Amino acid sequence: MPTLIIDNQSVTVPEGTNVLEAAQQLGIVVPHFCYHEALGAVGACRVCAMLFIDGPVKGMQMSCMVEAKDGMVVSTEAPEAVAYRSQVIEWLMLNHPHDCPVCDEGGECQLQDMTVASGHSVRRYSGKKRTYQNQDLGPFIAHEMNRCIQCYRCVRTYQDYCGGTDYGVLGANQRLYFGRFRDGPLESPFAGNLVDICPTGVLTNKPYRFTSRFWDLQEALSVCPHCSLGCAVIPGARFRELQRVRAGVNPEVNGWFICDRGRFGYDYVNHPDRPRTPLLHGEELPWSEALEALQQRLSELIDRHGSDSIALLGSGRASLESNYLLRRLGEQLGTAAPVYGSHAARDRAARAVTDLAAKLSASLAEVRSSDLLLVMGADPLAEGPMLALAIRQAVRNGGRVMLCDPRPVELPCSAEHLPCQPQELPQLLRILAAGENLPANLQPLADALQQAKRPVLIGGSDLLGAEGSAALLAAAQKLNSAERPCRTMILLPETNSFGAALLAGDGPDFDQLLNDMDSGRIKALLCLEADPLTDCPDRKRLLQGLEQLEFLAVLDHLPSLTAKKADLLLPTTAVAEGAGTLVNNEGRMQAFAQVFSPGEPLRFTGQGGHPPRNFSSTTPGALPCQAWAVLAELCGLPVNLAEIRRELAAKEPRLAGLPELSAEGPGQRVLPGNGASSSVPPAVATADESLQLLVCETLYGSEPLSALSAPLDPVCPHPYVLLQELDAARLGIAADDLVQLTAGGQQLALPARLSSRMAEGLVIVPRLRGTELESFYPGQPPLPCRVEKVSTP
Amino acid sequence: MAEKKQLRIATRNSGFIDPENIDSYIAAGGYQALGKCLTEMTPGELIEEIKKSGLRGRGGAGFPTGVKWGFAAQYPSDVKYVICNADEGDPGAYMDRAVLEGDPHSVLEAMAIAGYAIGAGQGTIYIRAEYPLAIKRLRIAIAQAQDYGLQGPDILGTGFGFEIEIKYGAGAFVCGEETALIRSIEGNRGEPYTKPPFPAEAGYWDKPTVLNNVETLANIPAIILKGADWYSSIGSETAKGTKVFSLVGKITNVGLIEVPMGITLREIVFDIGGGCPGGKKFKAVQTGGPSGGVLTYKDLDVPIDYEHLAACESIMGSGGMIVMDEDACMVDISKFFLNFTMEESCGKCAPCRIGSKRLFEALERITLGHSSLAELERLETLARQIKDTALCGLGQTMPNPILSTLRVFKDEYLAHVLDKKCPAGVCKNLLEFYILAEKCTGCTLCTKVCPVDCISGQVKYCHVIDQDLCIKCGACLEKCKFDAIVKR
Ligand SMILES: Cc1cc2nc3c(=O)[nH]c(=O)nc-3n(C[C@H](O)[C@H](O)[C@H](O)COP(=O)(O)O)c2cc1C
Ligand code: SF4
Ligand code: SF4
Ligand code: FES
Repeated sequence: MPTLIIDNQSVTVPEGTNVLEAAQQLGIVVPHFCYHEALGAVGACRVCAMLFIDGPVKGMQMSCMVEAKDGMVVSTEAPEAVAYRSQVIEWLMLNHPHDCPVCDEGGECQLQDMTVASGHSVRRYSGKKRTYQNQDLGPFIAHEMNRCIQCYRCVRTYQDYCGGTDYGVLGANQRLYFGRFRDGPLESPFAGNLVDICPTGVLTNKPYRFTSRFWDLQEALSVCPHCSLGCAVIPGARFRELQRVRAGVNPEVNGWFICDRGRFGYDYVNHPDRPRTPLLHGEELPWSEALEALQQRLSELIDRHGSDSIALLGSGRASLESNYLLRRLGEQLGTAAPVYGSHAARDRAARAVTDLAAKLSASLAEVRSSDLLLVMGADPLAEGPMLALAIRQAVRNGGRVMLCDPRPVELPCSAEHLPCQPQELPQLLRILAAGENLPANLQPLADALQQAKRPVLIGGSDLLGAEGSAALLAAAQKLNSAERPCRTMILLPETNSFGAALLAGDGPDFDQLLNDMDSGRIKALLCLEADPLTDCPDRKRLLQGLEQLEFLAVLDHLPSLTAKKADLLLPTTAVAEGAGTLVNNEGRMQAFAQVFSPGEPLRFTGQGGHPPRNFSSTTPGALPCQAWAVLAELCGLPVNLAEIRRELAAKEPRLAGLPELSAEGPGQRVLPGNGASSSVPPAVATADESLQLLVCETLYGSEPLSALSAPLDPVCPHPYVLLQELDAARLGIAADDLVQLTAGGQQLALPARLSSRMAEGLVIVPRLRGTELESFYPGQPPLPCRVEKVSTP
Repeated sequence: MAEKKQLRIATRNSGFIDPENIDSYIAAGGYQALGKCLTEMTPGELIEEIKKSGLRGRGGAGFPTGVKWGFAAQYPSDVKYVICNADEGDPGAYMDRAVLEGDPHSVLEAMAIAGYAIGAGQGTIYIRAEYPLAIKRLRIAIAQAQDYGLQGPDILGTGFGFEIEIKYGAGAFVCGEETALIRSIEGNRGEPYTKPPFPAEAGYWDKPTVLNNVETLANIPAIILKGADWYSSIGSETAKGTKVFSLVGKITNVGLIEVPMGITLREIVFDIGGGCPGGKKFKAVQTGGPSGGVLTYKDLDVPIDYEHLAACESIMGSGGMIVMDEDACMVDISKFFLNFTMEESCGKCAPCRIGSKRLFEALERITLGHSSLAELERLETLARQIKDTALCGLGQTMPNPILSTLRVFKDEYLAHVLDKKCPAGVCKNLLEFYILAEKCTGCTLCTKVCPVDCISGQVKYCHVIDQDLCIKCGACLEKCKFDAIVKR
């Protein structure tokens, strides 16, 4: 640990720290553009100059390029260093347009800050500035090349960190150009990070463009609700509208970046059809009356049919606190424990993971530093996009990736794809868990495992199911030792699947609920931010069950199918409009803070006029309440989040850290459960001859919240069916042919896509909400199906 | 006379052997050095020998070659590389080309020796695609060496294997810089990276890599055969051996020369080069290509080696020598070279990308007569700043032409700035074409050639040039039969 002196202050820093970082540790801020915590230093901008007075290097040096060493004496304030830095800033400003008043970056522009900090305020240059043609980079990113200061951050983010290949630096000397070879949408699903990373206004958020100034935004630390990884985000709202999301920093989870689903999926919060007033049989009524009606209906039914006629349904979308209060309500009413999740198989898988995971689960940071990643039955880009980026970092650090998946899983880095049939996956896991020898064709995998020092087994609960997930965990346990830690990361379907499953314990699942509904015992169902009509794979049976109900109450903020059918609809808030806790797939509790209060966006109420012309004493559309607050009131508890957390922590020993949790910081792992190594699943019989239909999540269009976000509309895929090339050839089907898919009693005409990298005998359709494919559910065993050619396009 | 001062080591075979015939090279003693290394010397002894010879890199920086090899040898790695830098980007320089076209095997042999020294089994030659003949001969040479078992998995039955591939450069000057070169062969944009780590530690594909210039390598077999003591007996105190220079410009004997280090400029320009043609006065010589600086008539007795050149704000570079006579304007020359480096800047770092443009603009204002003393001072400060803070050698050396001309020819700069005059009569904007009344016969010839019709006067009467309209093309001056028109 070298100790050095910067501006007469002594500081000791870890080996390998550069002098710029060392100065930052002392709170000394020196201008810098090309250095970035996540990207490291390249020494391109030359603004971080310091004067090295003594030590191994001397003279004016770029502090980001010099490793801190013992005995260094450095000055950031030496007149020549100050003069040089402001000289470089003046250079950078020579060509920079003075268009701050119309630049979206204004207020959060690093160039603005550094220019002011360096004292450069008078323009001496009177020559011609260099100018560029801008490009159309697609729906997410606006391009204004004239503002570029050539810091190379975008290229290093896009190409190096994110693995994108269609954006880079072109030209040389004065004519450097940062863009694509030709106009066109950026291909990387992480392109949105360019907005955060560009220190000036070259690359800005297109959907957000010209809507707000940074300083006018309401912002707070939050957690991304669009998958189970729980990346840190900072949503920004103004005029009762969620206008954008930028990446938060959580070194344990996402680091500095997020994916485009997380960045552009926010618009569900502003959805015009969103429930905003309590409705009883379609009639608006005040909250007080709505709660009274609910309580009255429930007690009526309990009086008539007993308390087990009431069923409660929680979800992985709702916060830990509201899911807990749902259970609390059940206890008060004497009902059975709530069912957590409308998709029984997914619920069971999540529970299998919660049982064991906390002990063995890897954080994304651990994935990034792993040297061997076995990805078995997970499609990171679809099921947890930032995991794909974490895997890429592991590869950049010399790690190796092996993929066992029947699907043609894509990753933004090189990976060895070991072809595998769907039924082979559980078998493989069984062998690993039992510590038996792998078959000869998987020898490379066995060798890699042998050599790995920090392997991580990665799985997806949709493909593995409860048994597969348990087997993956058992395999990790088998491979884990004190000298050679082996970790797992299992992707779960929803943002709080882990939290919900943990509360579920060994309570009933949705299949049991369906049985109880069939038998007519259930008379009332209360859904907490759950949409069984969209998510339950057995929709026919569910519909029959719902027919028999006397009362359906729904708390939700989405205009869901179930909400539309509800007798009583209670509008709740979206994540950004409230506070609470979510538990990510590794068992990390993360608190989120309230960004803004709900209300109908001014954009809708003001009919586009500005300033708004209609005045009222109440805020339009402000009625949605935080679900936990509604439930607390129903339970007769004080509406106090801290108190609820304390109570929950006392009741659930695994959540012990909850009361101390804050939205700042990296969150806290739940404590390990006592789930022992689960039994090794039995070998599975091979499937029969017919084609098998597998339903998979996709990057865009599957996740329920972002599927309602308008900015993502341009990138949502249209329904299609994916066939293995050899199968397609056998069936006489070519790419883009229209084919008829017959499965599960349904017939659909879909365009065909072909892949050579998927398992033979398999047919894949994406889970696309709001399309004809919505009635196919992921997380289910493959369905026998038929595919026939209809026509050629 | 000219031959006497020269000593050919690197170019010992060029012109004497058939470059397309390996037997011809072997007959001249070729591949004996490799054989000697593989059978009689350990890699450690070999590196010691090169260190002792005092050989320093001929690609520009002059880093001791043996030390470089020693570093690369000391980093443990299963794979290491030897790269030959044949990018030769300096305009007017063709030393490397001459060696590659005239004696390709000497480079191949030296690369295998380097490979043996550091424990590398693979070599790459990065050559500019504009050298088709050199490429052709290298290809032939590689094929022949393979046939003879002098390249391949088991050289001379010693168990040592070495193979060489050729990669082409697209003619970017900056790709001659070693880190940019490595990026370029890896298939990336040719952009320099900050050192350390040096290529010897993490170079090609992040493996220990020795990168040497063609001429450096061509010296190696001779050193091995004749011994380090012989080699180090040649040259100056700090620089041993010989250096190939390409002598071009205003010089009587144009061409390549190979001379011992430490030779004086006077010997090169006058004894070998035969002075400036047409009896013009020698003014200066640009060494080190566009990123070098000038040595002047005042420096004629400076010994040519790395340190002395640096003291004159110039560099050895790869060995270009562009001779200028009294007709050269030093401001204009600086501007010319700066224009080259400015265009060749990769654009990565701010001082080079933006600073070069500012320097160029400042020089342009001087040549246009729009500058001031304060600006001249700023020019010098800026030049020093860029030299100190640019990322790679290109940016760090780009101000050299300015700094070195300012050192000796400050008066020329001042004449431009203060008197608005170009003493050499090169900067057009500062010129005046003037008709001497006493010589003008009124023949009207000049009025007929002036493209802008700015000369007036009656037949048989003295003519005058309208200075506001004159575009200084000089057509009248050339046409006048009576020497009545002068430039001043
Ligand atoms: C801008 C720039 C251009 C260069 N061009 C060349 C070149 O064309 N050929 C060359 O051999 N070295 C060139 N070099 C020097 C190389 O970086 C490197 O120092 C040299 O090839 C090392 O070999 P040596 O030790 O044998 O001299 C250049 C350096 C810079 C900064
Ligand atoms: S576009 Fe932005 S991030 Fe990229 S080089 Fe220019 S200023 Fe830097
Ligand atoms: S000094 Fe010039 S050539 Fe070298 S990295 Fe900087 S911009 Fe590129
Ligand atoms: S931050 Fe150090 S050179 Fe850019």
